[in-house]
Amino acid sequence: MLASLSGLAAASRTFGYAFESSSTRGLATVPAETAARQLARYPQKAELTLLTDRPPQLETPLRYFRSDLTPNDAFFVRWHLSGIPTTVDLRTFRLVVGGHVRKPLSLSLRDLQSKFEPVSVVALNQCAGNSRSLFEPRVPGGQWANGAMGNARWKGVRLTDVLEAAGVLPGAVQVGLHGLDVPPLEKTPRFEKSLQIDHARDGEVMIAYEMNGESLPMLNGFPIRLVVPGWYATYWVKALSSIMVLDEPLKTFWMDKAYRIPDNANANEDPQHLSQVTIPINRMAVHSIFVLPEADEQLRAGQSYELAGVANDGGDGIRRVEVSQDGGQTWSEATLGTDLGKYSWRRWQTWWTPPVKGSYRLMVRATNTAGETQRTGQWNRSGYQRDVIEHLDVVVL
Amino acid sequence: MRSASRWVIVFAIAAMALTISVASYSQHPPASASKRAAKAASQVHSIVLPQYPPEIAEGPNVETYRKDCLTCHTARYVSMQPRFSKTVWQNEIKKMVDAYGAPVPEADQALIVKYLIAVKGVEAPATLAAP
Repeated sequence: MLASLSGLAAASRTFGYAFESSSTRGLATVPAETAARQLARYPQKAELTLLTDRPPQLETPLRYFRSDLTPNDAFFVRWHLSGIPTTVDLRTFRLVVGGHVRKPLSLSLRDLQSKFEPVSVVALNQCAGNSRSLFEPRVPGGQWANGAMGNARWKGVRLTDVLEAAGVLPGAVQVGLHGLDVPPLEKTPRFEKSLQIDHARDGEVMIAYEMNGESLPMLNGFPIRLVVPGWYATYWVKALSSIMVLDEPLKTFWMDKAYRIPDNANANEDPQHLSQVTIPINRMAVHSIFVLPEADEQLRAGQSYELAGVANDGGDGIRRVEVSQDGGQTWSEATLGTDLGKYSWRRWQTWWTPPVKGSYRLMVRATNTAGETQRTGQWNRSGYQRDVIEHLDVVVL
Repeated sequence: MRSASRWVIVFAIAAMALTISVASYSQHPPASASKRAAKAASQVHSIVLPQYPPEIAEGPNVETYRKDCLTCHTARYVSMQPRFSKTVWQNEIKKMVDAYGAPVPEADQALIVKYLIAVKGVEAPATLAAP
């Protein structure tokens, strides 16, 4: 296996995100064991890259990122605990809303669809650990490349409208949320998350029953999931079944120990001196990736090639994407694709004619409307919130 | 491929079941009951997870690893990782026991660390690499 990979790397063209060798190892290099993963076909899903089978974790191949919306069947899958829902009976399914409220509710899917005003938003859903396998030094966890994200048009109801119907009592500080998934052992903490009450009532957080005009695939949270625009996917609770309004912060492993980042602007820390203070991960960082050229594309001097990809941030909206063909010495602005709203990713595109044979380092960086941009170095122990400027090392024949 | 053929079988069985039930209703036609049955069927959403059994890398104490770790999750949680130091693997086992409640006896923990070092340790010889 190792021998065949190094054989590939020694071929006429090295490509940072298909495999690594000592010369291409770098910020955007997907490591060998990640590149060698197999494809798998799950119900309601296209062939996706298999990270784990129990519970299922499936990554979206980059070719699907050449359209504004990611097809439901290609949308990445990430469950935490092996007891995932595989059957939902809509006659008995209920979303329970309770806790610190005047009138606890028990809502069927039909109730949600008929008793509340429908709203929709295009929003990027990105795993907190997307691009984790690119961190150096490497960190344990789901070894995602850049495909643990997807952009979709979500339709559903405002969380605040549902809370309003239940009547939030004074003194509420958070909502606690969980879904139909269950832990494999009694002692394993159930997957649950919390949002501050003001966030939950901001009118943007949504309970979605449609994704790109269709029901959610079972593996993406059928029948409903939370949509938290601009925030990492860990909060987008799938198969949402319980919303508890709380008058004190939720105490759970999933907020107190897991999904935490160093308490600084870009979730950065030194491997030798880990941050003492950590906070729950929250808004998405500015992030941009290459989708083209493809890993197996042959590049020849004097010919014109499309460079393209996607860029996102945490809800201010992407203002500018710049591309470098000389390892970051000079940058030029790429053309931005359709603006689908500030919570959507933004596609970008430009053309490149490599003048002569040789090695080139392509780089991409995005800037949002708040002026936040990307960095050349970042590391944290959990491999979260990657905002490093991506590079691709290519050899032109 | 294996999963695709599974699905063909699942669909075939479902189609047969549907044909049989439709046939039986057409012989005894309580129209409302048939509508109810159809509506009930459309209300129940189900998938069958395909099987993608992982290859489990051979190594010392592999049986302890199978017994203590693979109850809750697939071996791919290990095989997808790069090589890590002993400290990293010790911390992972500690997390499984302390945070996730994995019932791994103290004595087994050291044995599992040895296995993980053998298959995914930084100093492990390449011949022991997981597939």
